[in-house]
Amino acid sequence: MAFPNVRLASRPLHFIYLCDCSGSMEAQGKIQSLNQAIRQSLPSMAAVARDNPEARVLVRALRFADRAAWHIATPTPVEELHWVDLQAGGVTALGEALELLAAELRSPPMEQRALPPVLVLISDGQPTDDFEAGLATLLAEPWARKAVRLAIAMGHDADGEVLQRFIGPGSGRDLPAGEVPGGSGEMPRHPLGRSPRRPLQASNATTLARYIQWASTAVVGAASTSASQIGGDFEGGDDEGGYNVPLPDLPPTELDPIDDPDPLKW
Amino acid sequence: MLAPGSTLRFDGLPEPLTILRRLGGGSQGQVYAVRVGGDGGEELALKWFHPGFLHRDPGLAERLQESIRRGSPSGDFLWPLALVRPPQAAEAQAAKAQGWGYLMPLRPAGYRSAVDHAAGRLSISLQNVLRGAFHLASGFHALHSLGFCYKDVSLGNVFLDPASGRILIGDNDNVDVSGRAGGAVIGTWGFMAPEVALGLARPDGASDLFSLAALLFQLLTRHDPFKGALELAIPCLDLPGRRRLYAEDPVFVFDPLDGRNRPDPIEHGSALLTWPIYPRPLQEHFERSFGPGLRDPSRRTLTGQWRQTLAASLDQRRLCPSCGEENFADPAATSLCWACASVLKPPPRLVAPAGVISVAAGNELHRHHLDPLAAESLDHPLARVEAHPRRPGLLGLRNLSSHPWTLVLSGGDTVTVAPGETGNLATVTQLCGAAGRVLIQA
Repeated sequence: MAFPNVRLASRPLHFIYLCDCSGSMEAQGKIQSLNQAIRQSLPSMAAVARDNPEARVLVRALRFADRAAWHIATPTPVEELHWVDLQAGGVTALGEALELLAAELRSPPMEQRALPPVLVLISDGQPTDDFEAGLATLLAEPWARKAVRLAIAMGHDADGEVLQRFIGPGSGRDLPAGEVPGGSGEMPRHPLGRSPRRPLQASNATTLARYIQWASTAVVGAASTSASQIGGDFEGGDDEGGYNVPLPDLPPTELDPIDDPDPLKW
Repeated sequence: MLAPGSTLRFDGLPEPLTILRRLGGGSQGQVYAVRVGGDGGEELALKWFHPGFLHRDPGLAERLQESIRRGSPSGDFLWPLALVRPPQAAEAQAAKAQGWGYLMPLRPAGYRSAVDHAAGRLSISLQNVLRGAFHLASGFHALHSLGFCYKDVSLGNVFLDPASGRILIGDNDNVDVSGRAGGAVIGTWGFMAPEVALGLARPDGASDLFSLAALLFQLLTRHDPFKGALELAIPCLDLPGRRRLYAEDPVFVFDPLDGRNRPDPIEHGSALLTWPIYPRPLQEHFERSFGPGLRDPSRRTLTGQWRQTLAASLDQRRLCPSCGEENFADPAATSLCWACASVLKPPPRLVAPAGVISVAAGNELHRHHLDPLAAESLDHPLARVEAHPRRPGLLGLRNLSSHPWTLVLSGGDTVTVAPGETGNLATVTQLCGAAGRVLIQA
């Protein structure tokens, strides 16, 4: 005698890394730091997936250098994923990567019902192909517009404007960088002036790892929306504004240099 | 944020804490297992908040102090015990910058998250699920009786011991005096009352009742009460999608009047399989809370009503003679087993002054069955029906009370059953105990 063998209904949550594998990523061990950060984030990502039974977290990765190609092509349940190292060399075909991504976010093969996909773009430089065309193709797809789009800039040569275009328009509700929390008289949506709807600046391996960890756990939790909602977070939430998933606060990172033991800066 | 293995001194604690291991964490903070004092000291849990979260919730310390002062509503809460501030941070500002936390009991071994149950990773009997539901309603009853409300109910905050049906309610740092404004967290999608989700009201006791109903439904069915055909019509279940489903136009999947949101046979099979298991009075509580109770908080089922109906549902439990599955249909009429469709004829019953219990192995007699003024409780059964260990089909009644019983047999003879002993039920017509008299009817 037992409770019947049934379980909560679930939807797919597609989590896709878009990884810059241009030649410059070989310098200062950046590509290895990226491989390490992603590999190390998988166990806690699997734990978040376990805690959110309404989501089936499926991971893929795209690489782009001279050309763009799927590094992990099949949506893989996070608990089964074994990360294969990315190799660097070539230029930066980000536009082509976005075209490939767009094709996968079309229905089919995209399911008819899903949770918002999470797309994480990681780059250290300028695109060398037609980024605008690729972005237009991508954002023509409804699933791409509904996705949480994040961008991590590795080092200081990444093109901030390109990354911001990928993320989507910033909104007046974001605090301008540097504004004192509460100075506007309002409770800030994201304290300390740092917003995930701007490119995340990773200048060393530790920061990169923290942002990858955050994207693969806190953001996955938010997209599964089993996370507790903070009051005031969901005025808005319109389709095109990109606020269809309230994002959690960014992790504490090296605003205080004393915290950072890592001497290797990009 | 706190390093496992380290021993730290904190303001507010006479003894140092050793951080043993990280238990988990989320957007609000991290939870660690800690030991107070040296070896052999008590092991507790420490929740440590991120400074970023503390900015959003300025009333948190005061709320926790109030909870600590009042004490836990019942034994079923992992309740805050003491605030813990970093040393040399006597000033609130400094503490905010570094983060601070509070101590609470550790979850005992054997308790699993209700998430594991909903995800189908837990083996549990229907009896223990109903017991768990009863204990949950009782916990909320105790919390509300103190004038508190929970505010952030969800599956992740409830722990369940599948072996006994006992529950523990965790994450009590959003608990506040009912109706008081303040606090950052307002709830979790799927458990938030529509008026709270729409921003029309702050969480309070009445919105808790909605959340309790949603939690009980998920516990009993492993399904979301608002996911039916309307959910299938939403391609991307993001924030606007959830607003539509749970707040703007919520329709209970089994609403008797509005059939727009019926469960899909393939996608929502768990609801269709489990709902018929439960008796009508229990179903009606959900229909009311998720029907008129959607917009009118005063129509939501009260904690006392849940307790009463859940306890009565347990009294109706019997085992199918064909497949052995637990059934809870009204015993007065003939019904079909939900699992194998075999006919279930009305069973023998224990008729007590304030309750009727079906005779089935595992069913229990409680004080509230004998004393109409006693509140329902499952904690100290007076008797339990048990199957004979070697002779299948033979049922007995074990005396769990502290007084001997006299059993009257059909021929008129009497038998004494001492505490701990079991009397054969086959020929008994009456049980006379210290607490009252129970008739046994075939």
